[in-house]
Amino acid sequence: MTDLAAPTAGAEWPTRPRPRIRSFVIFAALVVFTIYAGREVGFTLSTSWEIWTNPLWEKFWPVPWDWVLTRENVFDPLIETFQIAIVSTIIGCSLAMPISFAMSRLTAPNRPTYYVSKSVMNVVRAVPDLFWAKLLVTAIGIGAFAGAWALSIFSLAVMVKLFSETIDGADPRPLEAAQAAGGRHTPSVRMGVLPTVFPAYVAYALYVFELNIRASIVLGLVGAGGVGRVVEAQRQFFRFDRILGILIIIFCVVFVIEQISVALRRRLV
Amino acid sequence: MANPLNEARIAAGTTLESAEWPEPPVGQRRRRIALATIVLIAVVWSVTGLDVSFDRLLSAPGDAWDIFKRMFPPDFEGEIDRGVLGKVLESVYIAWIGTLIAATISFPLAFLAANNVAPVWIRLPMRQLFNAIRAVPELIVAVILLGVTGLGPWAGALAIGLHSVGTLGKLATEAIESVDEGPTEAVQACGGRWISGMRWGVLPEVLPIVISYWLFRFEINVRVSAVLGMIGAGGVGSELVQQLNFRNFEAVGAVLIITVVVVIVIDTISASVRRRIIQGGTARDDGSREAEALADLTGIRTG
Amino acid sequence: MIRFDNVSVTYRGGVKALRNIDLTIEDGEFVVIVGLSGAGKSTLLRALNGLVPATGGSIDFNGTEVVGASAAEMREIRSDMGMIFQTFNLALRTTVINNVLMGRLSYVPAWRSTFGLWPAEERVKAMQALERVGIVDKAYVRASDLSGGQQQRVGIARALAQEPKVMLADEPVAALDPVTSRHVMGDLQRINQDLGITTLVNLHFLDLAREYGRRLIGLRDGYLVYDGDIDDVDDQTFMEIYGRAITEEDLMAGVELADHEADEAAAEVADE
Repeated sequence: MTDLAAPTAGAEWPTRPRPRIRSFVIFAALVVFTIYAGREVGFTLSTSWEIWTNPLWEKFWPVPWDWVLTRENVFDPLIETFQIAIVSTIIGCSLAMPISFAMSRLTAPNRPTYYVSKSVMNVVRAVPDLFWAKLLVTAIGIGAFAGAWALSIFSLAVMVKLFSETIDGADPRPLEAAQAAGGRHTPSVRMGVLPTVFPAYVAYALYVFELNIRASIVLGLVGAGGVGRVVEAQRQFFRFDRILGILIIIFCVVFVIEQISVALRRRLV
Repeated sequence: MANPLNEARIAAGTTLESAEWPEPPVGQRRRRIALATIVLIAVVWSVTGLDVSFDRLLSAPGDAWDIFKRMFPPDFEGEIDRGVLGKVLESVYIAWIGTLIAATISFPLAFLAANNVAPVWIRLPMRQLFNAIRAVPELIVAVILLGVTGLGPWAGALAIGLHSVGTLGKLATEAIESVDEGPTEAVQACGGRWISGMRWGVLPEVLPIVISYWLFRFEINVRVSAVLGMIGAGGVGSELVQQLNFRNFEAVGAVLIITVVVVIVIDTISASVRRRIIQGGTARDDGSREAEALADLTGIRTG
Repeated sequence: MIRFDNVSVTYRGGVKALRNIDLTIEDGEFVVIVGLSGAGKSTLLRALNGLVPATGGSIDFNGTEVVGASAAEMREIRSDMGMIFQTFNLALRTTVINNVLMGRLSYVPAWRSTFGLWPAEERVKAMQALERVGIVDKAYVRASDLSGGQQQRVGIARALAQEPKVMLADEPVAALDPVTSRHVMGDLQRINQDLGITTLVNLHFLDLAREYGRRLIGLRDGYLVYDGDIDDVDDQTFMEIYGRAITEEDLMAGVELADHEADEAAAEVADE
């Protein structure tokens, strides 16, 4: 058996670092918070069991495909969903490009623009997406129009977050070269930074489009058009079986779009 | 086919080589034009399909601005009397519990979906399960659950919990798959069992990233739970809807501002915690974390 | 003419990169600048075109004061100075010609360059610049598909496209192999002789400096420690500039290449 004690044995060994009191306190606080939050929310094991055994679940099956796969019930609203998604993606992502450049350290033209755009976008992002939809519906009326505007704001928020972070990480050297050649700010950014980040921009735009299709399901719940309208109507009649059918259709559509999107994105990089 | 650039070149007079200049690639141009045309057609089709009359387009911003103006001055006192602070906190609790549920469920499942852990016949169905769950928005889940549980925050928490399993699961799977094999191999080389390999090889590396995903999801879920309130699943959404229906816009303004402030605060705290976790807890107690959080928020860097 | 008058550059954080530099460079000169890393070579060039602001003294360029120039004046000055970089600084994801057109940025209105609506004459000028460095056939190739030497030549073409009065080369060959380095230095020399453009080159390798330089400037710790004709320079001079003995790393690889390197070099030459 090898003697593990080294020739230098006898020197002081370092003491094992004690776990910091602060981490322990934080952990304990989190646990307390969780328990409190759980109580507030009404979490009890008995309610969970009630949910699991509720006879309402039978209302989901079978799915009435004859009702679901008709033009007026599902396909026309689906087309409206598509149109809303396209318009809002275009509007939101177009606005997002200059704003993202303005709120990125690398490409902001001056400090006030940087601060203002970053702060404003943080506030816009902090408003939950459907709040926008509800506000707009109240302001400009029910329908796909409000939905398109609401999703445009949503698209803008998502794209700006993703894109500005990409710009922050972009190679600054071509920008330096453009400035060294005497270019003004916007053309220098366009020639020095845009080529580097443009593939990411398109990839994000496709992703946002996907998100918008999914989001339009829920837009209907506030009256903003698309397939969600149908879902809301059915919900009020408790026709969950029809809702399930619609969900399955949506799932297939989103799946297809996702595959196309992934394939397109791969070609871009 | 004469390259117009070449003509210009000859006109300019200076040529160092007698060879023709290359032409811009035609194929690429055609593809770009085709793509732009498709996008244009899609946009036109969409806009016309949405039945947007021109005067509606013009009046919309005006209407929106009108409502916006009427939100000032915001009626903070009235709203606080009506308990809006409690409702906002309720949204936070709902988001917290929901995210926690999702984290607990999704993390072990993610191992089953990782290609360096589970065999194909387990992981493919697992991944599709995550995708399917992701595809169903929380709002729909909440709608269904409300039919079962009745109104209340628990439906909201469950809806968030269930939906987030999909997203968190997918992200956790990707994190597990991208882990360095070194430590796991080392455990195996010492004769450790598979579970030890996971515990000591994979877990330490994956946990910081996954926790930061949980926190990021929590940030999003706070917004989601505010929205779920709109259909009665607890939280501040119901207050917003009610005040909007009464056209009590000063109250709406107050609700919005309070919600936004709370969301921003949570975002900021969560972002600095996430940053700290990713960086491995380097001790910088000089207040620079607060400064970084503030910088993240407003873009203003002090010092 | 370029004149540095008691120029100092101190970075935030206290690092003194340049101290009390007095220097005059006439039009058409070919100047090589040597010094250890951190001696201030890069700062010297960047102070000249304002990428790094000088914190003391004055820099006069053909009658215009560089230090403290307004944004518009700065752009004017920079449009007359072409810069090439050690890491080439190309926009890799786009074509060669789009990179060279960057050199024409100061000649077209902002809206044109922002939307990519370059007039035909500008494209001609860009192609001519590419011709001069011998890679016009690669005009529509993606920049990332080129070799290091080719990328640097695109960088030179970009600078040439500015129709500059001065060429600033910041360690242009540090990332290139010996054969390509000689091509690039040869290009710079030709440009200086044929077009009369004042050329300042930072070099790391002393043998290269001796081979291509005409006037040599030595920097140490931010001070100007040598300024003279290349013919008067010997190993002793370099040792004084460096403050230590010359080592192998200060010299580029010699003329003798290993066999496969020679083949690669021959292939590259044939590629042009």
